[in-house]
Amino acid sequence: MGDTSLELLQGTLDVLVLKAVSWGPQHGYGVAELIRMHSGEALKVDEGALYPALHRLERRGWLEAEWGVSENNRRAKFYRLTGEGRAQLRAGTQHWLAYSDAVTRVLRSA
Amino acid sequence: MAEGDSRRALPWPFRRLLRLAVRPPAPEQDVDEEMRFHLELSVERLVKSGMTPEAARQEALRRFGDVANYRDTCVELSRRREQEVGRARRWGALVQDVRYGVRGLLRTPGFTLVAVLTLALGIGANTAIFGVVRGVLLRELPYPAPERLVQLWQRAPETPRGVFSFPDFEDWRTQSKSLESAGAYFYAEGRTGVDLLGDGEPQRLSAAYVSDGFFQTLGSAPLLGRPFQAQDHVPGQADVVVLSHGLWQRRFGGAQDVVGRSVTLEGKPHTVLGVMPRGFDFPSPATEVWLPVAWLTQDSVPWQQRGSRWLMGVGRLKPGVTVDSARAELEGVSRALEAEHPASNARFVGATVVPLHEAMVGEVKTSLLVLLGAVAFILLIACANLANLLLARGTVRAQELAVRTALGASPGRLMRQLLTESLLLAVAGGLLGLVVAVLGAEGLVQLAAGRLPRASEVRLDGAVLAFTLGLSAATGVLFGLLPALRASSPSLQPLLKGASPGQGAGGGRRLRGGLVVVEVALAVVLASGAGLAARSLSHLLSTDMGFDPQGVSVVHFSIGSAHDNERTAYYQRVLEAVRALPGVESVGAAKTLPGQSDVEMIRLAVPGKPDELMRVNIQHISRDYFRTLHIPVKAGRDFTDDDREGKQSRFVVVVNEAFVRRYGLEGDPVEQTLTLGGDPVTIVGVVGDTRQAGPSEPVEPMLYVHVLQNSRSSVNLMVRGRGDPMRVAADVQKAVWSVDPNQTINRVTTLEQVMREGVARPRLLAVLMGLFAALGLLLGAVGIYGVLAYTVSQRRREIGVRLALGATPGDVLRMVMGGGLRLVGAGVALGLAGALALARLMESVLYGVRAHDPLTFACVVAGLLAVAVLASWLPARRATRVPPAVTLRAE
Repeated sequence: MGDTSLELLQGTLDVLVLKAVSWGPQHGYGVAELIRMHSGEALKVDEGALYPALHRLERRGWLEAEWGVSENNRRAKFYRLTGEGRAQLRAGTQHWLAYSDAVTRVLRSA
Repeated sequence: MAEGDSRRALPWPFRRLLRLAVRPPAPEQDVDEEMRFHLELSVERLVKSGMTPEAARQEALRRFGDVANYRDTCVELSRRREQEVGRARRWGALVQDVRYGVRGLLRTPGFTLVAVLTLALGIGANTAIFGVVRGVLLRELPYPAPERLVQLWQRAPETPRGVFSFPDFEDWRTQSKSLESAGAYFYAEGRTGVDLLGDGEPQRLSAAYVSDGFFQTLGSAPLLGRPFQAQDHVPGQADVVVLSHGLWQRRFGGAQDVVGRSVTLEGKPHTVLGVMPRGFDFPSPATEVWLPVAWLTQDSVPWQQRGSRWLMGVGRLKPGVTVDSARAELEGVSRALEAEHPASNARFVGATVVPLHEAMVGEVKTSLLVLLGAVAFILLIACANLANLLLARGTVRAQELAVRTALGASPGRLMRQLLTESLLLAVAGGLLGLVVAVLGAEGLVQLAAGRLPRASEVRLDGAVLAFTLGLSAATGVLFGLLPALRASSPSLQPLLKGASPGQGAGGGRRLRGGLVVVEVALAVVLASGAGLAARSLSHLLSTDMGFDPQGVSVVHFSIGSAHDNERTAYYQRVLEAVRALPGVESVGAAKTLPGQSDVEMIRLAVPGKPDELMRVNIQHISRDYFRTLHIPVKAGRDFTDDDREGKQSRFVVVVNEAFVRRYGLEGDPVEQTLTLGGDPVTIVGVVGDTRQAGPSEPVEPMLYVHVLQNSRSSVNLMVRGRGDPMRVAADVQKAVWSVDPNQTINRVTTLEQVMREGVARPRLLAVLMGLFAALGLLLGAVGIYGVLAYTVSQRRREIGVRLALGATPGDVLRMVMGGGLRLVGAGVALGLAGALALARLMESVLYGVRAHDPLTFACVVAGLLAVAVLASWLPARRATRVPPAVTLRAE
C-alpha cells in the first residue's frame, strides 16, 4: 500500500472485477478483497470506485445482480457473471495480456 | 395459480394499485444499502484486526474514497438500466403482441385478405377524395391575403349574379368605401379566345379581358415584366398582352427576353408586357393570355353605355371589412346609380358579394362533398363489416381467449392483443390504401382535367399522409373496439367449463344485427345517390341538343401565315377537296364546336331597338353546316357559295329561333336588316334552336356568320359520311393535306366524343358514385351473409330439433330468411330517411331529375332487397340441410 502501490489504468478495473466475480457470486466488498489479495496488495483501488464499475457492468448485461444473505447474515447485493460477461472477460484478458506484453517488450529492449 | 386466482378476484383497477404498492425500492435506496453494507463490513474487519472503532471508521472511509460521487454515479447507472429494462419489456410485449397477431391473422388468410382489401379500398378512396378536397376546397387561394378577395355581381331580381356594364363597375369601384381595389374582367370558359399566329403552329388561346385594377386587386406581381397600367386600358393603345406561365413555357420555351417581343394575335401585332407566375390562374386554370378590356372595344364600340352588361368583377375588401357590410354598402351605391340613371339601372339595385374562394369552387363543392360523404360511408360500412367479422371470429376464439385468461392474461392485456390485431389490419389496409389513393387522386384529377378548378393544387402531401395515418388508426380502433371489449369481458369464463360458445351470446347477436342494419342503411344512401347521379347523367345524354352529333367526324386545323392573304380561297379549296371524297354526305365548317360557342361582345341593333353592346353567341360557319348537323332550317335558306364574296356583296347572317324571340323581331325575320358592329347585315334564314353551350345549359340566341365572309384562322371541318367516323376523319385529313401538305392538323375526333367531354363532370360523378355504391352493396351483402351464416351455424342444434319434430325445410328457410330480411327491412327504412337528406344536398348537381325521384328510390330498394334475399338464401338453404339424426345424436 502507500506510495509504492500502482495506480489502476483506466478500463483495467472492469476486467479485474469480471475476473473476481468469475470465481463465484460476490458482493462488492468481496470483489474488493479478492482484487487486493490476488494483486499481493500491489494495486491501489478506491474501494468505492468498484461500485460504479459493478453497476456499469450490470447495465451492459455482463453481470447479473441479486439480493441475498451474506456470510455474516446480512442483506447484500451479489453479482454473478453472465454468459456475455464470461465472453467479455476472455476478450478483456486476452487484450490486456497482449497489451502488457507489448509494453514489456519495448521497455526491456536494449 | 392459487395466488393468481385470489388476485384475479379483484377488479383490475385495484390489481393495478396493488402492483404499485409492491413496487421495488427506488435506485437510491438500493445503492445506499449496498454501500452501507460494504462500509459496515469493512469497519467490522478493521476492528477485528485491532483498530478502535473510530479509527476503523476513518480507515474504511479513506479506502472507499469519494462516497457521494460514487453513489451518484451508481444511482444514475441504476436508473438508466431500469429505464432500459422497462422499455425493452414494453417493446418486447409489443413485439410479442404483433408477432402473435400476425400469426393469428396468417392462420386465417381468407379473413385477413378480405379485411385488408376492404380497408385498402375504404381508406384509399377516402384519402384520394380528401386529397382533392384539400387541394380544391381547403387550401387558401394562392394570392396575398386571400380572405379579403370577393367576387362581385350586380343583382337584379331574376339574376342574382348579374354582370356589370363598364360604367357601373367604374362607379362601384370609385364610390365604394369597403373595397380597397377592384377589377373587372370578361371571360367565358372555353369560349373567349384569340388566335395566335406567327412562329410555330397557329393556336387558339384561351383569353381573359381585364380592366384596370385587375392584377392589383389579386395582388400577384408578374414574374417578368409588368402588369397592365392605366395607359394600356385606352382603346387604340390596347395591343398588349400578358402571358400565363404555362403558355410562356410551352410556346416561348421560357425565354427570359420574351417581354417586349411582338406576337401576332388575331392577325395584329401585340407587345408582350409580362409573364404571370406559375399558379396564377385567375379567372380559370385554362387562361393563357390576359388582354385589356379596351382591346375588345377598339372599333369605337359604345362600351361606355350603362345598359351594356358584360363584365364580371373581383374586389379586395379593406382590412376589417366583412362581406356583409361590403354588400350593404354596395347596395347603397347601386341604389344611388338607379336614381342617377333610371333608364338603364332600374332593375339592378342589388349587390352580390361572395368570398372569391367560394365563388371559384362553389360549383364543384357539392359534388366533392357528396363524394367525400360517399367514401366516408364506404369506410363506415367496411368498419361495420369488419367489426362483424371480428365479433364472429372473437366468438370462435372465445375458447382460446378463455384459456389465456386462465393462464394469467388480464382482460386489459387481452384487449390490447385484440386491438393490436385490428390495428395491424388497419395499418396494412392503410399502406395498401396509399397506393389506391395515389392512383385514385391522379386518375380523378386527370378525369376532371380542365373541369376541376384548382386541380393543380391537388397533391398527396404530409397533411394528406397524416390524414391516412389518422384514418387507419381510427378505423382500427373503430372496428376493433367493440369486438375487443366483448371478447375480453370476463363473461367468457363459463366457456372453460365446456359450455358452447353460442350460449349467452344473445347480446352479441343483437349487436351484430345492429351492425347489419347500419350497413344496409348506408348502402341504401349510397345507392340512392348513385341512382340519382346516373339518372341525371342519362338525362343529360338524352337531352335534345337540337343537332345530331352521331356519325359526324371533326377535323380541326388552324392556318398559318402562309395562307393569310387568301384564307377564303384556301378554305374553299379544302372544302371542295373534302366534298369530293367518296362516302362523304355533307361537309360544313365552323369556327367553334358545340360546347365552346363563342361569346363575343358586339354592337348590335335590331329594327326598332337602340344600338347596344351585347354578349352574343356568334358561330362562324360555312354552307351545309346545318345539313351536316341535322339542324332544321325553319325559314329562309342556308348560306350558299354566292354569299362568300365578303363585304363586296351584302353581308348575310342566319339566326336561330331563340334569337328571334329574344330580340323580338316582328313578322317574318327573313330579309330583315340588323346592324352588327356598325354594318348592316341581312337575315337570310332562321334555323332551329341548339344547346350550343352544352346539354345542361339553356338554349341561347345564336347568330351565324358565313365563315367565308369573315374568315378566321382556325376552323373545324365537320363531315357526315358513311362508315366509321374516325376513318372518315382520317380521309378528311388526307384531303386537307392534298391541298397543302404542310398544313398542321390540331385535332381529329368525332362530334360524339366532343359531346362526351361536355358531360365529363356529371359522368365522373355518376361513375364514382356508381362505383362506391357497388362497393357498398357488395360489402353490405357480405355483412348480411356473414351474420346469417353465423346465426345458422349457432342454431344448428335448434334447427335439427325442429326438423326432427316435423318442421319442413320450407319452415326453416322461412325462419332464417325472415330473420335476415327483418334486419334488411330495418336498414332500408333507416337508409331511405338518410337518402332523402342526401338527395337535398345533391339537388344542385342534378339535372333533369328531381331529388326525390321515386323511380330511383324504388329501384334502389328493389335492388337491395334482391341482394339481401340472395345473401340470406344461401345460409338459409344450408340450414335446411342439417341432418336431424346427426344433431340429435350429438345431443
